[in-house]
Amino acid sequence: MDLIFLTELAINGALTGLLYSLFAIGLVLIYKASSVPNLAQGGLTMLAAYVVLALARDVGMPLWVAIPLAALLMFGLGFGIERVALRRLAGRPVIMILMMTLGLDIFLRGATLAIWGGTSRSVELGVGYDPLLLGDIFISRIHLVGAAVAIALFGAFLVFFRSRTGIKLRAIADDYMASWSVGISVERGVGLSWALASVVAVAAGVIWGEIQGVDQALSLLLLKGLTVAVLGGLDSILGAIIAGIILGIVENVGAEFLDPLVGGGSRELIVAAVLILTVMIRPHGLFGRHDIERV
Amino acid sequence: MSIQEKSEALPILSMNSVEVLYDNVMLAIKGVSIQVPRGDMVALLGSNGAGKSTTLKAISGLLKAERGRVSRGEIRFDGTDITEMLAQKRVEMGICHVIEGRRVFEHLTPDENLTAAAPMSMSRSALNAEKEKIYTYFPRLAERRNSAAGYLSGGEQQMLAIGRALVTQPRLLMLDEPSLGLAPFLVEEIFGIISQINRQEGMSVLLVEQNALAALEIVSEGYLIENGRVVMHGTAEALKANSDIQEFYLGGGEGTDFHNVKHYSRRKRWLS
Amino acid sequence: MFYRLSGVHHADYVSDSRIYKVPADRNLAVFILVIGLAAPFIIPSLYLNSYILPWLIWSAAALGLNLVTGWAGQLHLGYAAVMAVGAYSAIHAARFGVPWEFALIIGGLASSVIGSLFAFAALRVKGLYLALTTLAMQFVMDWVLTHSPAITGGSHASLQSPTLALLGQPITSDAGYYYVAFGWCLMVTIFMLNLKRSALGRALVAVREKDYAAAILGVNSFYYKILAFATSSFIAGVSGALLVAAFFFLAAPEQFSVAVSIQVLAMVIVGGLGSIIGTYFGVALILLVPGIVNGIFATTSANLGLQVDVETLAHMPNAVYGALIVIILLIEPLGLGKLYGNIRDYLMIWPFDQFRK
Repeated sequence: MDLIFLTELAINGALTGLLYSLFAIGLVLIYKASSVPNLAQGGLTMLAAYVVLALARDVGMPLWVAIPLAALLMFGLGFGIERVALRRLAGRPVIMILMMTLGLDIFLRGATLAIWGGTSRSVELGVGYDPLLLGDIFISRIHLVGAAVAIALFGAFLVFFRSRTGIKLRAIADDYMASWSVGISVERGVGLSWALASVVAVAAGVIWGEIQGVDQALSLLLLKGLTVAVLGGLDSILGAIIAGIILGIVENVGAEFLDPLVGGGSRELIVAAVLILTVMIRPHGLFGRHDIERV
Repeated sequence: MSIQEKSEALPILSMNSVEVLYDNVMLAIKGVSIQVPRGDMVALLGSNGAGKSTTLKAISGLLKAERGRVSRGEIRFDGTDITEMLAQKRVEMGICHVIEGRRVFEHLTPDENLTAAAPMSMSRSALNAEKEKIYTYFPRLAERRNSAAGYLSGGEQQMLAIGRALVTQPRLLMLDEPSLGLAPFLVEEIFGIISQINRQEGMSVLLVEQNALAALEIVSEGYLIENGRVVMHGTAEALKANSDIQEFYLGGGEGTDFHNVKHYSRRKRWLS
Repeated sequence: MFYRLSGVHHADYVSDSRIYKVPADRNLAVFILVIGLAAPFIIPSLYLNSYILPWLIWSAAALGLNLVTGWAGQLHLGYAAVMAVGAYSAIHAARFGVPWEFALIIGGLASSVIGSLFAFAALRVKGLYLALTTLAMQFVMDWVLTHSPAITGGSHASLQSPTLALLGQPITSDAGYYYVAFGWCLMVTIFMLNLKRSALGRALVAVREKDYAAAILGVNSFYYKILAFATSSFIAGVSGALLVAAFFFLAAPEQFSVAVSIQVLAMVIVGGLGSIIGTYFGVALILLVPGIVNGIFATTSANLGLQVDVETLAHMPNAVYGALIVIILLIEPLGLGKLYGNIRDYLMIWPFDQFRK
């Protein structure tokens, strides 16, 4: 195997990985702002993609109107999810919150498919399908666009979490009770984090929908997104970006070597193995906070 | 100001026979009435589980987070009925509760802790001025303003928790066991700062303490709570002089005279 | 209403640890047992086989998960994988000519071995991270199953189960399948009822509440966690094998996918962690209600002359299933078992409590 091919695998892996990061940012956001594991991000992403399509196709808006409008709608939905589903479970054991987000995921997926049907559609963003040539290396344009979106979101959230609102959200994740005691509206903060994650879902839904079509397979990104989030440390956005790149490369290069050995389809296996190894070796991930124990 | 005048002036906080139910079944406090005169420091004394923390939570609205509610009575702050108000609204009105156990935001720096507590309406420059003021009260915090609060020592965390409450511009500061687990010299330092803030800013303080000796040194009056009821109320001097208080809370008194024990428990039974 | 008692007063530990604390409970149990035995003669076999039978087997499986999640407090999102191990081991053993009684036990033991691997994750992490690890292990198991033609015949393949035979009697009738399921469910239920009262059950609860505090009391949490996983996996294995032998008749990897793991966990949580009766309710709700709601929806829309999209009908049950989880968690986070307890407590002295007011 020559070096150029390996480089191509690595670069395309890294780009795909950044798209996983794009998805994982939604998980990290909510964990960072409320210590709640969000297993509904797959359903949210799928719903977001369908909403964009519904606005673009069924209503007939141009995409540059449909996407921001969908983001706005999803922003509202995020607040709604907090208000309806999560507020009453604040302070309950993690297993119930986990189940709640799983239930939401199942509901969102079922409802989306019941409304719009399961046949795959494409977004048609208008990004060309002919690959870019960088020296001898082929690079997909849409992956490049997605990676740019991921990095832009990363930058935006980096700034956001240093702002006063962002600091308040981090305070909520640390201690609900103490946040209430100094007048932080925990409910509004958690709602905001779900709203932002829903907006991230629009970005992920559009990009992934363009790549693999808008259908229920979008919700299967959850395992990859979770792996990226955990590997990066559940509450680190920088971690999500870097872990995405790492997972993308490991997956792409690893699958190239493993697939001939096992007869294909080793990507899922590699992702699951990375998740297991991360939790076993370094549960707080590459950049996650460990719970501080004072000596 | 004579006692007469004081009682006529509108107290900043008054609680009238408040009852608190947890989970709709457990009665934690049973008809507590407390008044905090404007600009005064008042102590709430009592043993573990007497209902002191519950009283504070009823005032700050944090009961809801623990599935408790005020089932009877009313709480007035500055003349307004706040019994059913959201915790967040009460903080805006000027009640801030420093909860038990130094719960600072561990993964945030002290600086960010103070920022997190600042109301959104506060301008950036006002916030910075406020921070500087707090750092002059607690110079130890200034030194470590940019390291994670989880790594501060116990005393520093308590100072940070109090500083964080001060950012919310309270008119009534409620402290729940600030001396818990701290070395005596730190307790003295913290209490000194609290009374300094009280004098300089005219901030009213409601202090919950098990360390009655230290508390009675700085407050002007005190309430004694047992089994969810107020069993004694008086000025700090009167309480310090009371033989029961001395016996049970100050560790002094007439040694282990069993007459007094009987006398006290009889009285408790009568009251409860 | 059904319970006439003036409070439960136990004077010693023996009476406090009875299975039936009041005679009414025992009478109710006997009543249910009689109904259960007579069911094939009362219920039309269509309902018996397509609703009651899977309900019983899934209840047994869910009880096994409740053992490890409800009692021992270990989150488990890979339960279906463990069931798959039992199902495939048992079927291969039976196809090999091993009598079904032993094949089922082989299935259970094989599951125990694989299920104990999950316990090693539980020794290192807990809570959310354990859930994620077991989820990843489920994916690994799925992958192994679909990529091992020797076990499953590869993906999209199915494996025919030999005719179930117990005690030398081949079982082919609907009633026969029903009694097998009923018997297994009964065994698991009796085991779980007694587990509550045993030292093992108390040790598991201690591990759940605080594992290091349990360790201080001399409860070896390492040992009990593995034991809990092994026992629950055994139940999972046999239930999985019976599910294939008496209900599906064909084994396919999709029957034990990650969605199924989530479904069993949903049954347990909706039913109530650590609640046996709740588990039955939870299984009934998650397994049967989506289909029933969909049926009602389909017939009413047909009656009203509305044109409902085929896709809508196909995906409605999933939406209902998700909504059920959300709704139950909102109404009572402790599950249907707790809800049942509340209603029972309320009815305890009804209608006489009305006079008091």
